[in-house]
Amino acid sequence: MVRITLSLVVIFLATSCAPTKIVKPLDEGQWQIGGTVGRPRINDGSLPILGAYAAKGVSADRTIYGGIQLSSALLGAAHIEGGQVQHWLPQNGLQPAISWSAGAQALMSTRDYAFRLYPETGINAYWHRGPHILNASANTWVDPTWFLTEYGRGQILAPSFSAGYRFRYRFIEAQVEYKILNPTREILVPQADVPNTFGLGAKGMYWGVALNF
Amino acid sequence: MRILLSIAAALSLFLTSCGGDISAAMFAGGDGTYDFKNEWLDPQYHVDETKIHLMAFSSDSDTIYALYLGDISQIATDTIILYLHGNASSMDNFWETAGLFANLGGPHHFGFMMYDYRGFGWSTGRSTGAESMAADYDAVVAYLESQGLTSDRLVVVANSLGSLPAGPAAAGGSRIAINKLVMEVPQSTSNVIMQNATGLSLPSSMITSYKFDLGKNMADYTGELLWMHGTADDVAPFETAEAAMQQHNGSYYQEAIYPDMGHGLRWDIGDEEWAGTILDFIRR
Repeated sequence: MVRITLSLVVIFLATSCAPTKIVKPLDEGQWQIGGTVGRPRINDGSLPILGAYAAKGVSADRTIYGGIQLSSALLGAAHIEGGQVQHWLPQNGLQPAISWSAGAQALMSTRDYAFRLYPETGINAYWHRGPHILNASANTWVDPTWFLTEYGRGQILAPSFSAGYRFRYRFIEAQVEYKILNPTREILVPQADVPNTFGLGAKGMYWGVALNF
Repeated sequence: MRILLSIAAALSLFLTSCGGDISAAMFAGGDGTYDFKNEWLDPQYHVDETKIHLMAFSSDSDTIYALYLGDISQIATDTIILYLHGNASSMDNFWETAGLFANLGGPHHFGFMMYDYRGFGWSTGRSTGAESMAADYDAVVAYLESQGLTSDRLVVVANSLGSLPAGPAAAGGSRIAINKLVMEVPQSTSNVIMQNATGLSLPSSMITSYKFDLGKNMADYTGELLWMHGTADDVAPFETAEAAMQQHNGSYYQEAIYPDMGHGLRWDIGDEEWAGTILDFIRR
């Protein structure tokens, strides 16, 4: 009786599956342009969520970024994001460096011009040695319009947790990240099984490639 | 930063002009064989094979296929059950359900009709949203009306996806007014589906033009309603369906709630309980 329609799920998850862009701030004056592919798990497979971003190191400690979610846009929702990543604590042996981020996600329907703005903040612990960057990150979107969720099912916070590896060497950066999405609530997609953690949230792998110049 | 965001916004808006919409992808229509024979039914649900009628109707520029079980000549006098099926490829998947309905209250006690929405089974075209679903429903009801069916003898039973066309029809959109409606494992609103899938306060208009609100439909429906649902339904969540169905303000309201049962309600609770509940509602 039940059959999953893949494209439906792609879109439903697309709106909440932005990967971490910058973990370690760029050098001052350095630019990074990249593309990301999110692969949130669904049923026995995963789904491609496409995004692109640009970032610039405005100081030795601070990088700003802006990006778009392509999958959402193709279905009629303009979805952009922007923010900054700020270096906080230096790496000291095995003690990781710490950075924090702040930004926002903005979505607007081109059908009825419904608009949503989700501020977000996160913290990254990372170890950097040569071209290798290992990170563990926690991030949360804040839903200031949670009360617009129908039948009282809204939540103010939509957190995610991730661990990843980045290879940053000269002009190239490659990224891979495992992410647990929204583990504070049950994600329901009609006629689909969403792999989760202890019955909550969703999860998936994210890849990215970027050019530094 | 402003430059980055401006470029991102411009590119994003440009891409939105592609006009994508997931509404067509919501529908799981597929091939059908329409091999409606007793050999696929449990003996207790066998039908008189002379009373199996496959029909085709025009709906806009598409052709909708329907199955009627019973004597066509008695549509003018019988109570007719119009079944709006769930999100499976075709009526093939509901042949067993049809057999059960054909034996509800006794062999061919009620007339029974179901149909495939556009893009399901042999029905041509693609279902895309409220308009196509309403047109398909109307094509079938127009036929029943032409055969003499009246409001007092029409029972609409909507399963899962079928609740989407049933809601607006019950709220005044049916050329034969609905006075008895069974909502089996219905959805609630298009926004709820979006919000349950993202965990955010996003409206469904972000991804589709197909907007439905069964709560509002039920508030506008004046007839009798039987709502059947399992509390462990993870396709049409119980809590939101409950909130929508309880908007009903019509002449009679009945709930049949089954703890720990899922979306395949008939299979979970058994044919006897399922059929008995519906039969009692029809006869009240």
